[in-house]
Amino acid sequence: MDKTFNKMYAEYLRDESRQIGSAESIIFPNTEAEIIFSVKEMSLKNIPITTQGARTGLAASAVPHEGHIINLSKMNKVTGARYDKKEDRFFLTVQPGVLLSELRKYIANKSFIVTDWDDKSVDALKHMEKGQWFYSTDPTESSASIGGIASCNASGAKSYRYGSARDHISGLRLVLADGDVLALKRGQYIASDNRFSLITEGGREIKGKLPKYRMPDVKKNTSGYYNMPDMDMIDLFIGSDGTLGIISEIELELSKTLDVNWGITIFMPDEDRALDLVRALRQEVKIDNISLNLNPSAIEFFSHNALNMLREQQKTAEFSNIQELKDSYHTAVYVEVESDSNDKVWGEVEKLGEVINALGGNEDETWVAYNLVNLEKLHDFRHACPECVNLKIDEIKKSDDRITKLGTDMSVPDNKLKDVMKMYNEGIRENNLNAVIFGHIGNNHLHVNIIPGNMDEYEKGKELFLVWAEKVAAMGGAVSAEHGVGKLKVPFLKKMYKEEEINEMRKIKKIFDPAQILNRGTIFEFVEGDQ
Amino acid sequence: MKIIVCVKQVPGTNEVKIDPLTNTIIRENVPAIINPFDTYAIEEAVRIKERSGAFIYGISMGIPAAQEMLKEAISLGIDKGILMTDRKFAGADTLATAYALSKGIEKIGEYDLIICGRQATDGDTAQVGPSLARTLNIAYATDISRIIEINNNKMHCLKITDDGYEEILIKLPALITVVKEINMPRLPSIKSMKTAKKSIIEIVDFQYVEAEENRTGLKGSPTQVRKTFVPVHKVNNILIEGTVEEKADKLSEILLSLRMEVK
Repeated sequence: MDKTFNKMYAEYLRDESRQIGSAESIIFPNTEAEIIFSVKEMSLKNIPITTQGARTGLAASAVPHEGHIINLSKMNKVTGARYDKKEDRFFLTVQPGVLLSELRKYIANKSFIVTDWDDKSVDALKHMEKGQWFYSTDPTESSASIGGIASCNASGAKSYRYGSARDHISGLRLVLADGDVLALKRGQYIASDNRFSLITEGGREIKGKLPKYRMPDVKKNTSGYYNMPDMDMIDLFIGSDGTLGIISEIELELSKTLDVNWGITIFMPDEDRALDLVRALRQEVKIDNISLNLNPSAIEFFSHNALNMLREQQKTAEFSNIQELKDSYHTAVYVEVESDSNDKVWGEVEKLGEVINALGGNEDETWVAYNLVNLEKLHDFRHACPECVNLKIDEIKKSDDRITKLGTDMSVPDNKLKDVMKMYNEGIRENNLNAVIFGHIGNNHLHVNIIPGNMDEYEKGKELFLVWAEKVAAMGGAVSAEHGVGKLKVPFLKKMYKEEEINEMRKIKKIFDPAQILNRGTIFEFVEGDQ
Repeated sequence: MKIIVCVKQVPGTNEVKIDPLTNTIIRENVPAIINPFDTYAIEEAVRIKERSGAFIYGISMGIPAAQEMLKEAISLGIDKGILMTDRKFAGADTLATAYALSKGIEKIGEYDLIICGRQATDGDTAQVGPSLARTLNIAYATDISRIIEINNNKMHCLKITDDGYEEILIKLPALITVVKEINMPRLPSIKSMKTAKKSIIEIVDFQYVEAEENRTGLKGSPTQVRKTFVPVHKVNNILIEGTVEEKADKLSEILLSLRMEVK
C-alpha cells in the first residue's frame, strides 16, 4: 500500500530542492472547509501533515516527513478585490494555490473570473481600470504559488526597491492544527510588552509571549520566525514555512506600475571595482564628487566565473540568443530602474557613465535597454545564469544521482559586502571548488552556486556552507534571505541562533500546534516525545 | 565602402494587437521601436565596418518622431541618419515606399551595399527590400544568413531557404535583406547613447529628393487593404483509448478517413 502510494504520487514527495521524502496519504482540497476537515481528521490520529503549494521551493519545506500531504494546488482562484479610495491602494484576495505567473497575467490583463465575487469586490475592480498595477514580489520562479511565497517570505530582484513578500501581505487566513481558523488583518493584532493575544474564529483566545532573540539587521531575512518588539502578529505567520498553520487565503497589496523601465548591464574590469560600483549605486560612497541618484529597483551581480560559464554555454543552441560577451568583460553589475520619465533616467545614466569611468571601468562596456523588447534580452541573460547551473547539475547527476544543487541564500548588512565576498572567494579557492556567484547584490544577498564534479566535492561544498553560515551569522547576517529555512537549512539556523533561541521558536510553534503535526522537521528538528 | 541601412519604426511589442473594429494595428500606449529585423541589418553593417572600414548611412521614411529611432540606430553604430519626412510620403504602400526610398538613396550618391531587414514586424510583407532594388536597378538577394566575404566589388554570401542554404555571389552595388540567423544585434552602451544624443539627423522632404507626386504616398499606392485578420488555427484533438491493438486500428481508421496512405 505504502509502496504503491509512493509510486503513484512520487512527484508529491519532492520539490525543487530535489530532496525526496515519504508519505502515506494526500489530499487536494478545493476549499478551506476541506482543509479543516482533513486537518481535524489527522489531528485526531496524530498524523503529521506537510503542506504543499507548487513545490518550487529550494529548502525542502514541501518535502513530506511521513504522514499526510495537503496539496493546495487546486485552491487557485482569485476570490476578491478591495480598493482603499482614501489612500489609493488596491488589494486582491487570493487562494494559496494561485501561481505567480497566473496572478501576473490576471493583473496585466485586468481580467478576473468574478462569478463568485461579492458586489464590493466587483465594484473595486473598476478602480483598477484607471491605472496599471503589478505585484512586486518577483522570485525568479514564476510557477511558484502565492501560498508558498507567503510561507517563505520570498522576494526576488526587485526587493531592493519594493521589499519582500511580507511588505505586500495585508491579510491572512490560516487553518490551525486543531482545525480552528485564525483570520489576521495587518494592523489588527499588535504585540505589546512582548505579549500577544489572538482570537480564533472559533472564539478561542491564543495568548503568548514573544521570544527574546533578535533578528539580524539585514534587508532580506527569512531565517526562522519573525520577531520584533511591538510587532504586527501577521508577520509571525509570514515566512513561518507552514509550521504554525495552513494558509487558506491571502490578501495582497498591489503596487503601481511606472511606465519607464530601464535595464543596464555594466561590465567592470575586476570584482573589487564592481563592488565599488555597487556601493556607489547604493549612495554609500561618492565617486569623483558625482551625486548619483539612480534609485534602482534591483542591483544584481554576475561573478567572473558566472560570465565564463555563460560564455561557454553561449556556444550551445539553447543559449545562443543571449548577448555576446567580449573577452574584456570581467565582472558584471546589472541595475534596473523604474521611473515616470525617460529624461530623468537618462540624466542619471549619463552620470552613471562618469562614475563607471572614474572607477576605472569603461562606459562603453555597458548594455542599455530602455524598451521592453530589449529589457527582455537582459532578463534572458540574467535568467541564463541559474538555468546554466541547473543544466550542469543535471549533467553531473547522471554520473552520481546523490549530487543536488548547492546554492547559498545568505545575506549580510551593507557594510559587510566586501567581507562576505572575500569569504566566498577564499572558501571556493581553498577548497578547490568550481563555483559561480550571482544574485541580489543590492541587498548583499548573493547566491553562491557550487558545481561539484563528484561526490567528494559535493560533501566539501556542503561543509563549506556550514562554515559560511557560521561566519555570516557572526557578521550579523541571515543564513536564509529568501528561500526559507525549510528542512535543508535546519543546520544553518543552528549556526545563527543559540540552542535556547531555537527552543524559543519551538515554544512559539507549540502555542499554535501543541502536537507538532504541521510541517515537522521544518525550521528545527522534530524531537520525539517533545509534546 | 559605403553602406546604406534601411530602417523602419514599428510598435515596440512582441505581440502586435489588431483593433477588431478598424482592422488596424493598435499603436496607442505602445512606444515605437526600430523594427527588430532592421537591428540585424544595422549590426551586419557595423560588423563590416569593424572588419574592413565603412561609412554607414541609416535611412528611413516616416513621421518626424522617427528621428529618435535614427538616433538609436546611431547608438548601435551607424554614422549618419537621414529621415525622409513629408505629408506627400504618407499613406504609402510597399511600392510607393520603395520608390520614395530609392529617391532618397539617389541623393546620397554612390554606394556599395544596401542592407534591409527581412521584413517589418507590423506589415510583415518583406516586399520593400526587393522592390527597392528593382527601382534602383541593382542586384539583390533576400534572406541572407551569412556574409562570407566582400572582395573586388563582389560579395559572397549564404541565403537561407526552406531546404537549406544557397551560396550566392553577388555583384556590388547590391541590396540584401537579412534574417535573424545572421548575427546577434548588440545593445547600445552608455557611451554610444551619449554620442547618439548629440547627433543631428538630416531631414529631407519631397521637394529635396525630387520625387514624382503620382508615385509617392497614397496617390502612388495601388495596394488597398480591404480587411486584415489574425488567422485562426483550429486544432481538433481526438483521444484514442483502448489496448495497443485497438488504438492502432482506430488510428489507421482515422488516417484512412483522412485519405492518407497507411502502410
